[in-house]
Amino acid sequence: MRKDTTYKGGITRRTVLSGAAAMGLSRVARAEQPQEVKVGLIVPLSGIYTRPGQVMKMGAEMGIEHINAQGGIKALGGAKLKLVVIDCGDTTEKAKNAAQRMVAQETDLVAATGAYLSSFTLAVTEVTERAQLPMLTLSYSDLLTERGFKFIFQTAATASRQSELGLPTLMKLAESASGKRPKTVAMLMDNTATSVATAKALKEKLFAQEGLQLVVEEVWTPPLSDATPLIQKVRSARPDLLLFMPNAVSDAKLGLEKISEFGLGQGKIPTVSFSITIAEPDMLQSVTPDVVQGIMTIVANWGSKGHEDLIAELKAKYKEPWMTQNVISTYGDMWLMKNALEKAGKADRLAVAEAFRNLDGGPSKYYPGGELKFDDKGRRVGAGVVIVQWQSGVPVTVYPPELAQASPFWPKKS
Amino acid sequence: MEGFLQALAAGLLIGAVYGLMCVGLGLIFGVMRVINFAHGDFMMLGMYTAFYLFTTFGIQAVFGNAIGPFVAILLAGPLLALFGYLVHLALISRVSGTRTALLEGEGHYAQLILTLGIALILQNGGLIIFGSVLASIRTPLSSSAWELGPFFDISVFINKARGIDAIASLLILALLTLLMTRSRIGKSLRAAADNPTAATYMGIDVDRAHRIAFALGSGITAIAGGLLATNYPFHPFVGLEYVIVMYAGVVLGGMGSIIGAFWGGMTIGLVQQMSTLMLPTQLQNAAIFVVFLLIIFFRPQGFFGRMVERT
Repeated sequence: MRKDTTYKGGITRRTVLSGAAAMGLSRVARAEQPQEVKVGLIVPLSGIYTRPGQVMKMGAEMGIEHINAQGGIKALGGAKLKLVVIDCGDTTEKAKNAAQRMVAQETDLVAATGAYLSSFTLAVTEVTERAQLPMLTLSYSDLLTERGFKFIFQTAATASRQSELGLPTLMKLAESASGKRPKTVAMLMDNTATSVATAKALKEKLFAQEGLQLVVEEVWTPPLSDATPLIQKVRSARPDLLLFMPNAVSDAKLGLEKISEFGLGQGKIPTVSFSITIAEPDMLQSVTPDVVQGIMTIVANWGSKGHEDLIAELKAKYKEPWMTQNVISTYGDMWLMKNALEKAGKADRLAVAEAFRNLDGGPSKYYPGGELKFDDKGRRVGAGVVIVQWQSGVPVTVYPPELAQASPFWPKKS
Repeated sequence: MEGFLQALAAGLLIGAVYGLMCVGLGLIFGVMRVINFAHGDFMMLGMYTAFYLFTTFGIQAVFGNAIGPFVAILLAGPLLALFGYLVHLALISRVSGTRTALLEGEGHYAQLILTLGIALILQNGGLIIFGSVLASIRTPLSSSAWELGPFFDISVFINKARGIDAIASLLILALLTLLMTRSRIGKSLRAAADNPTAATYMGIDVDRAHRIAFALGSGITAIAGGLLATNYPFHPFVGLEYVIVMYAGVVLGGMGSIIGAFWGGMTIGLVQQMSTLMLPTQLQNAAIFVVFLLIIFFRPQGFFGRMVERT
């Protein structure tokens, strides 16, 4: 005799099955809306580049805290962002190994940022590209986004673009402030990837375009032991403008103090840099404010007008005297990841990468110029530069005008 | 001509400090025959000790920014010597001196591993304690110079901090030479270096002699590090940048010779600065090793090898 499977109340086998299916579906739905979404920060936290790595971590932590405090990722039911920090060490080999560890162990990461030095970022993105993990970066090297990679997104203007944007502005500034255009230039640079890319653009195109004659060109391998040979050549040539491009604070100190020692400082030869190093807080641990007074540098980002609350919070929380590009850009990266997650609607790295590619987030709040949008190469559209000048012991933004905290002055021969 | 004289002056000044660094290592190697891979990190500790003595312990307030750094640096020497003495007592003595008879390869394998381990602990411990922010013994002397000239339109600048560093290095070398040649301790060190077995038979405590050599070497290198720090910002990993220079200097001078180690360091400073007159600046460190290889090729025993094979 066949057992009746129909019960009073209309509960049939089909009902039970459909209920079970519904429960299963709801579990899937819950999986699509996780409690937290992991994002990675891969930066040097050991070795000689620890300091910038720590500063980038500050920016990431602030970003995550603010995003979570404002309700997390709304498209994922208010899921909170969780930061996974990976130390990429102080060599390209260590950086590559760290990236391999990151993609192997943290399989639920949806995006990452960091790497700091372009050479580290080049190594790290070889791994993240294969793992299809979208990687944001502040690194400058043009090469990063010239390899045809699909999962790298460069938020800063490339090194060559920074030269193109920065030098004409400087020349205009020199002309308006001093009444004459510089005609000769000396270029002292280290041989890191960023400096090489910057110098390439300057020498191949921009010096000729701006009517500048290169009278001294010296390249060194960091760290410098003594800057005498470099500055002696500048002293002999007496150029109208000195482009000094160190990427280590120790090199910057040795060069600037030698300039001062040889009586070329204080505006006798206006000095301009193309890196953040010369405006790092560490500089004031190494040199007196008068040695750096008036020196300008062209950087990809800086804590500027409109970021006053963030700068105050950074000071209060981490005792950082000002907000360098490493903090503000990493902070902005967290918001950019949030935007992509909102657009993607799911915590999936492929969907997030696709969201980055199709992002059209309007003007950028935490990066200078341009929009929250990436071109085919993964470069942020319209990425601009910031010119920062040391004024009374603080590097302040002097260009572009909409971000400027102070007016620039051109150091005059005294 | 001006460029040549300026490079020569810079080479001599920095070479004197390199020389003092090498003397510290040369003394340890000469007396103990221990290859100390942590030597650069002892120098780093010397830099931080001088820095904190200067900034935190009131020396800056009492002596000012010109004299204060050098007072702090000279005080850092004995402190690091004491530290070196304790490190030897607790660790190095277990793999060196009379105990090497029980160890494989005369204890050299154990010494290499132990000193590498100490180096790693000092570097990463330094990162935890001192942090990653660059430190610098700030003095106005590092950005000012004595100007020699002009003679026939040629002026040579002598950086004031580097000038004082060089004079201090020479004075310490002279004192060490006196100690080694005229004092009872110096004689016991030389005896322990020449023939440890015979020295033991003559009633010399070889392990104690080694301990004193290690302490002296650490103290001298700490002072050299402090002198360097008046111009050069440092971090917990700074030792790695200089340990190669130290070893090259010691080998150039002749392994085991103190005066040789000084001239080895001086040669490195001169080559580093003067090579830029002919070669691109980025090859200045490569030039050091080319000259190093040439000297080792033509005179494998180094400048002072054989003649004064041991201290």
